[in-house]
Amino acid sequence: MNAMNNKSIDEILAKVNGIKITHKRARRIRVDVAADSLTTVLELIKGQASYVHLSAISCVDWIDDNQFELVYHVWSYEENCLISAHTRIDREEAKFVSVYDLYKPADFFERDIFEMFGIFFIGSPRMEKFILTEWYGMPPMRKDFDSEAYVQETFNWTEYNPDWLQEITEQGGGIAIKPEEIRMAGQLHNMSTHREREKAKKDHVVGKGWKS
Amino acid sequence: MRPENYQAVQLGESNEYEIFIGPNHPGIEGNYAFRLQLDGDIVIKGTADAGYLHRGFEKLMEGRLWIQNLAIVPRICVPDPAPMEVVYSMAVEEIMGIQAPTRAQWIRVMQLELSRVAAHLFTFGGHAATVGMYTPMFWGVADRDLVLDLFEDFTGGRVYSIYNIPGGVRRELPDGFLQKVSNLLDYLESRQDDYDNLLFGNKIFVNRAKGVGTLSKKEALELGVTGPNLRACGLPFDIRKNDPYLVYEQLDFDIPTQAAGNAMARILVRRDELFQSIRILRQVIEKLPSIKGPIRTTIPNPLSWNVQAGEAYTRVESSKGELAYYVVSNGSDKPYRVHVRGPSSMHAVQTLEYLAKGARLEDIAQTMFSLDACPPEVDR
Amino acid sequence: MKKELLIKQQKRSNPLAHVFDDFIGFCQSKSLFMLHYCTGCGAIELPPAMTSRFDMERLGIQPMVTPRQADILLITGYVSIKTLKRVILTYEQMQSPKYVIGICSCTVNGGMYWQSYATAKKLNEYMPVDVYIAGCMPRPEAVIEGLKRLKNNIMQDKKQHKGSAWKDYYKNYDYYLGNQQHLFGDDWQTPVDVIAEAKLYGLEGEGTYGKNTDKLKKVQQPLLPQEMKL
Repeated sequence: MNAMNNKSIDEILAKVNGIKITHKRARRIRVDVAADSLTTVLELIKGQASYVHLSAISCVDWIDDNQFELVYHVWSYEENCLISAHTRIDREEAKFVSVYDLYKPADFFERDIFEMFGIFFIGSPRMEKFILTEWYGMPPMRKDFDSEAYVQETFNWTEYNPDWLQEITEQGGGIAIKPEEIRMAGQLHNMSTHREREKAKKDHVVGKGWKS
Repeated sequence: MRPENYQAVQLGESNEYEIFIGPNHPGIEGNYAFRLQLDGDIVIKGTADAGYLHRGFEKLMEGRLWIQNLAIVPRICVPDPAPMEVVYSMAVEEIMGIQAPTRAQWIRVMQLELSRVAAHLFTFGGHAATVGMYTPMFWGVADRDLVLDLFEDFTGGRVYSIYNIPGGVRRELPDGFLQKVSNLLDYLESRQDDYDNLLFGNKIFVNRAKGVGTLSKKEALELGVTGPNLRACGLPFDIRKNDPYLVYEQLDFDIPTQAAGNAMARILVRRDELFQSIRILRQVIEKLPSIKGPIRTTIPNPLSWNVQAGEAYTRVESSKGELAYYVVSNGSDKPYRVHVRGPSSMHAVQTLEYLAKGARLEDIAQTMFSLDACPPEVDR
Repeated sequence: MKKELLIKQQKRSNPLAHVFDDFIGFCQSKSLFMLHYCTGCGAIELPPAMTSRFDMERLGIQPMVTPRQADILLITGYVSIKTLKRVILTYEQMQSPKYVIGICSCTVNGGMYWQSYATAKKLNEYMPVDVYIAGCMPRPEAVIEGLKRLKNNIMQDKKQHKGSAWKDYYKNYDYYLGNQQHLFGDDWQTPVDVIAEAKLYGLEGEGTYGKNTDKLKKVQQPLLPQEMKL
């Protein structure tokens, strides 16, 4: 039964240009398609194959390739299968077309991606801020926003000096690396060496935050 | 008694006013706000306002190691934290291509079902309190405390257990634990008649709850509603049966549905689900002593553990609906992107705004609690 | 144009007045209304503390829905910046004497979300806190322990001066306002006139005025009715 359903997905989507279909495991299919054919793919699987439930729209920031990747996860209750449609758009000109007329839940996800990444969806009913209404900095989920640098600049920490630590400090010991100097999150990419992190710490500029 | 097809009459612009059911309000579950434009007692339009619980989870998770994320992941959904850990662990296991051993999978099922029992007991109290009945909250919270005692026994934490790890669970069950679970299930089943008399069969509650927040099948599918809210409209869809994970295929349970799609139907579906969970738990308790084996697959040293590049989308049926995680890894020791899709993103925002149109002011609080909307999942 | 509030604080001449203070402190500590503002995760352990298992009502503490009639503001958990503005508004709306309890480690030093751009790290900078209850999250027994300590502080306020952190808000308003303006911008204002209240209670001092209150004077406007914008 499963093999017959998956073959019919291959047939339905074979007409779309430049498409690549991968069957990852049972009940998961991955579809890679160019940006201008994505709505065609969604219309085809909704109309001809009963994929009516939009589970989520995710966005991944590939800063090295200078692209955003949008993933549309669509589930079918009749065939019990999930199709994830991946597409890439340009990072500088962050615009894409909205799928609100096909799937109503897209309203929430597109608004979320707009305020977190800065991608504008043409045709979406409410392109305004929802969660970050009083935030005036850059879209925070982009890889070039460094949350930890912003925190170290804007907030102060409580003084931590209990009695036992004072005794140790009097005898010459103490905390080796102060909490203000510990850096956990790397910038831009996931840097895992301490040397890279120290070097990048000096170059980052913190922008506006919650101030209007 | 309220007529089902009451239409709001527009008396002119001067009769409309706006109120703000703000973040500090007993009629709102958690820290969330809702603006209403009203004409007398009838709501014309409602707009949701979120962001009061925003912590930037997805950004935080990108800056921590794979194992450090387990500590913050349960805090995304506060009343029902166990499915969050399980779905994160399952996503990482899928990227790595390993599977948790059988004994760990059975223990995970037990943890999930106990968490579902605790979450539903909490919801009964909340829903009844919006109607003015405060006794079910005392009963629900007290019975939930007994379940939290069990959680403390085998995981060490009452609410946030942090018991799962990609590859299995962390500790073996203590001796005599299964007997304690069995005693608790007997106690809960003996309370069934009391709850029915107090809450589910109570004429006052039934008259208040039916006719509030009605959704038809077509509207529910269009709005992306999942979980008990969808089953209350008559559609028997459950991820445990449609997209099975862990060992649910070997267990024997039903999917309760109701046909009406209103607040009364939703709470009845939750009541039936609670007793189905008790049925599942009894099967797990029977089977567990005979399944021997390790509880963890070995993974490399967690402090310097690079997961290979890949991505996974895992879904789990939490007590509120469909919970899904999309995890992307690029081969380093930290996640590249984790996207959390909580079930309340659909319920608390679009469904609530849709149901608020034409509703009466006193039913807004009951609609929100009956949809079991959890604001931390919306804001992350 | 704002009118200055001309209230004179009279000195108490009765030498037995302190006896009444002790008695009033004793009575106040036995009957406290708490405003249950679920600001964050810790709110899930409040219902077990309030209901029949770890009963809080036997200590005299009862939940109350409006800040105007509440004594204790419970900050349960982390405070996100959007909520922090509302919490400050709520705190200023409460009538003195009022007490703030910071539950969970996030109010102490940022807790688990210390790297987050959207949570406040040190609650003590924005409003005076009486008692911290550490934990993540603290058990209901720990919450009750913290409340008992607050009651002790209130009862022995005259001797130990531990139960009057609310006076610190008036005495050092410039410091708190400066921190609030650093986070929210220089045009931050609330509907409550804190300086007039400080004069009413006789608590204004040199810490009440400063350059931050000068900034506030420039931007302070009377409350206008909000327009409906939907």
